Amino acid sequence: MIRITRRRMLKSAAALGAPLAFPYLNLAHAQGAPIPIGVGVPLTGNAGAYGPDMAEAAKRTAAKINAAGGVLGRKLELFIEDSESSAAVAANLTQKFINVHKAQSCVGYWGTPEGMSSRPIAVQNKVVLMVSSAANAITEGDTQGYVWRFQMKATDWGIVISRAAIKLGFKTVGVLGLQNAFVLPIMKVFEEKMKEAGRQVVDSLIYNPEQPSYRAEVERIFGKKPEAVYCFGLLPDFVSIIKEVYRGGFESKVVALSIMADAEGKFVQAVGNQVAEGIRHFQPMPDVAAPGYKKFVQLMGAPADRVFLFPPNTHDQIAITALAMERAKSPMAADWSKQIITVGNGPGQEVDDVVDALKLVREGKPINFQGAGSTCDFTQNGDQLGRGMGHWIIKSGKSVFVEYQKP
Amino acid sequence: MLQTAFNGLISGVIMTLPALAVTLLFGVLKFPNFAVGAMMTVAAYLAFALNAQLGWSLIAATAVVAIGFGVVCILIDQLTFKPLRGRSAITLMVASLGLGFILENLARFAYGNTARSFAIELARPFRFLDVRMNHEQMITFAISTAAMIAMWLLLTRSPVGRAMRAVADNPQLALVRGIDAERIIRWTWFITGMLLAVGGVLIGMDRALEPPMGSNYLVSVFGAAILGGLGSPLGAFAGALLIGVASELSTLVMPPNYRIGIPLAAIALVLVFRPQGLFGQPYIRK
Amino acid sequence: MISFLVLLGIVVCFSAILALALNFQWGLGGMVNFGLAGFYTLGAYTCALLILKGGANTLVATLGAMAIVAAACALTALVTLRVTEEDYFAIVTLGVGEMLRLVALNEDWLTKGALGLSGIPRPLDHLIPHDVYVYFLLGLSLALLLGTLWVLNVLARSPFGRIVRALREDDVVAATLGKNVLWARVRVFAIGGAFIGLAGALHAFYYQYIDPTQFTNIVIAYAFMAVIAGGRGAHAGAIWGAAVVMVLLEGSRFLKDVIPWLDSDRLAAIRIIIIGVGLILLLVFRPQGFLREHRLQVDLVTATMRNR
Repeated sequence: MIRITRRRMLKSAAALGAPLAFPYLNLAHAQGAPIPIGVGVPLTGNAGAYGPDMAEAAKRTAAKINAAGGVLGRKLELFIEDSESSAAVAANLTQKFINVHKAQSCVGYWGTPEGMSSRPIAVQNKVVLMVSSAANAITEGDTQGYVWRFQMKATDWGIVISRAAIKLGFKTVGVLGLQNAFVLPIMKVFEEKMKEAGRQVVDSLIYNPEQPSYRAEVERIFGKKPEAVYCFGLLPDFVSIIKEVYRGGFESKVVALSIMADAEGKFVQAVGNQVAEGIRHFQPMPDVAAPGYKKFVQLMGAPADRVFLFPPNTHDQIAITALAMERAKSPMAADWSKQIITVGNGPGQEVDDVVDALKLVREGKPINFQGAGSTCDFTQNGDQLGRGMGHWIIKSGKSVFVEYQKP
Repeated sequence: MLQTAFNGLISGVIMTLPALAVTLLFGVLKFPNFAVGAMMTVAAYLAFALNAQLGWSLIAATAVVAIGFGVVCILIDQLTFKPLRGRSAITLMVASLGLGFILENLARFAYGNTARSFAIELARPFRFLDVRMNHEQMITFAISTAAMIAMWLLLTRSPVGRAMRAVADNPQLALVRGIDAERIIRWTWFITGMLLAVGGVLIGMDRALEPPMGSNYLVSVFGAAILGGLGSPLGAFAGALLIGVASELSTLVMPPNYRIGIPLAAIALVLVFRPQGLFGQPYIRK
Repeated sequence: MISFLVLLGIVVCFSAILALALNFQWGLGGMVNFGLAGFYTLGAYTCALLILKGGANTLVATLGAMAIVAAACALTALVTLRVTEEDYFAIVTLGVGEMLRLVALNEDWLTKGALGLSGIPRPLDHLIPHDVYVYFLLGLSLALLLGTLWVLNVLARSPFGRIVRALREDDVVAATLGKNVLWARVRVFAIGGAFIGLAGALHAFYYQYIDPTQFTNIVIAYAFMAVIAGGRGAHAGAIWGAAVVMVLLEGSRFLKDVIPWLDSDRLAAIRIIIIGVGLILLLVFRPQGFLREHRLQVDLVTATMRNR
């Protein structure tokens, strides 16, 4: 038996090793070949609702750029894959983008786990990773200029939401948070800011996903009768919590995030108008008044008043990739990653259309690109500046916009 | 604290039906069935289809689904467990694990991952003896108690029930006495299917309908059945209430996100020190 | 494409080590470890924490992970010595596994909870040039896999292995032979645990980022399928089982190119349904797997032949 085993093992080792004998071919960056870009977005899993539009935004942006001559005389080629809202899958995808498709830019990355697991892969391979996730940890430490966040940092969310709470006049609040990578920094900053402003945080609790019931948590926080309870988590647990709150007859006002209390209308569908009445929700959003955003809505073929939360980020990721490559006159991330701040922050001519911007860069003129999701101004460590949050309140089953606020 | 204990009672009551199912299945079929969670999920979604999509009242939907699901369970048994009849408990457990994956993902395939709710009015609370409760919970209580009593009557007074107990206690002797084991097994699955269907609807009313809804309860339900004594219906009822109340009360002294530790500890302690639980019979295999 | 296959190969290797460990505990020792996911989590986190917080190098961290998981398994087996029913034991291990995962998720002062641990270095990655590193990692994983196979095989053929097999076949008789024999159960479970720890460490090195969501119950299904497909007790079989399962799983990701009219959510559900169906079919039609367990008679034959 041992002999057979060894023989078999040797055979399989040989089978795996044989391809190593072939010379390492690198055709991807030959002249004229399309430039590959990896797009990893959640088409299934917790965040499955957001992926499809993000992918569509990427596709249309690339098509627009290609129709106007592409980048460095070459067309952009997108490889769109489902990250399944999972860290392990995203890591595999990123490997695939870099090793199989030879991409020098990986964009999308909605969730924090996906960004966190792909980060070391990108940095090691000297490829740019552009994420749309919030957790601070993604840009912390030395990313050597390869990790760029097209989203508001988690701690900034806490700042904006607490400021709104203070403006709304809440003197006592409770906090309920899901055991989740992006919730915890938000909670922490929120509580700190409330305490600084002299408001009382009556209690703060973290709960696990997929528990049979949330009665105990609701009892503990709402039972103390704060004026408002701030909930940070995801849709399924929020639906259970709100039902429990309603059944328990608790009267505290509820404030949450839009991914929980709206989720493209699914929340109200699940709990009904009466239960959802009066719930407020926040989410980072693009400045809908900005011309860059308006052009984006047209590009997507949507009605002018449509609010896209995440797809504008994907548009900007593709645009900045194209602009930085054109500016650096090289498709290799090691070269153009250094130009991201140059094309995004300026100083230079403000331009919000990527095709116009590409023309200017080719003419050698300095630009300051204003994107669809934000003004695309970055800090040295890859975070984005100047982003704001939208604030809505649910009335009669519809989310009514209240205001737009920056940290 | 009274409110917390009451909340625990509600959680416990919701678990009585699936715990009864687990204990019945173990008694007759002699293995722990991990597919019961997913079975509840599928039954709940079937009720959702009738209630929210076709507009039936929840009561009518539940009644129809209960009977229908009883038949479905018989079919599932014919396909999955019958070919494995007589094999080791581990084999059956692993098969039930696979079955659980299949059923949960059938629900996911049909309805996706978004949380849904039944088309019923959410209940507002009233106060009784300083404790908040609502009429939905009263209904849940009533249904579970009725089910318990019905089970007890079935097992002690009816021929089918007596035959089930005979097969559970001593299959070879039951065979000698002319009891057709397969027929009893089919009856067992039918009853279990009804219990799981109603249990699934109760969970859907309490929380929400989503693919993992049934499997989230697996640990607690097994804790209840084991604590009460596998094979003893009274034990399942008592175990469910005890686990429910203990879990909720534990949140007064422990962080709430660890309360799943209560049924886990119950499982470990009971199986090591008193495998027959509170009301079960010590059972020797082989 | 080549790099992709190399990476797939590495995943197959540590999945195979996990399957071998399960096979050792169950196939040889008759102790079903339903808490596999939890112990695997313990191994991965211990390795990562020893490096990130303890400043250990990768070798020490790996050994540490193996030791800790072995200890945890030993403790579990010790506490449950009295539990002789196979399925009761399985449920208790499930409980232990769940507790371990709960701790990993909630104790963020230790494990950083849902945020996970990132930046885990790989063995000798500062010594080996970057573009050939994956080949080194594959070679290392293969070597560890072969080493695991060799160690477990040797143990299975030793007198210790014979005692454990006797225990598995009839524990009442074995128990009458004295308590020393029951200690063999603890040792079997602990040794299996050490290799679960090894698989966990490799997992941590490969992904370089671990969070609680990576260690779900589907891990148990894969491991069981691998062991059942390969044949309980047949060590080489577990490796083939792991390879087949992993290739099927990764390969089924290409299903969406073949079946474009189904959206990804549905395809993901179908993949898991296929796993469940596969598991049941395996149990019904080929419970003995595709490879035979090494039998004692052969042992005698080779033993006599060696003595010549």
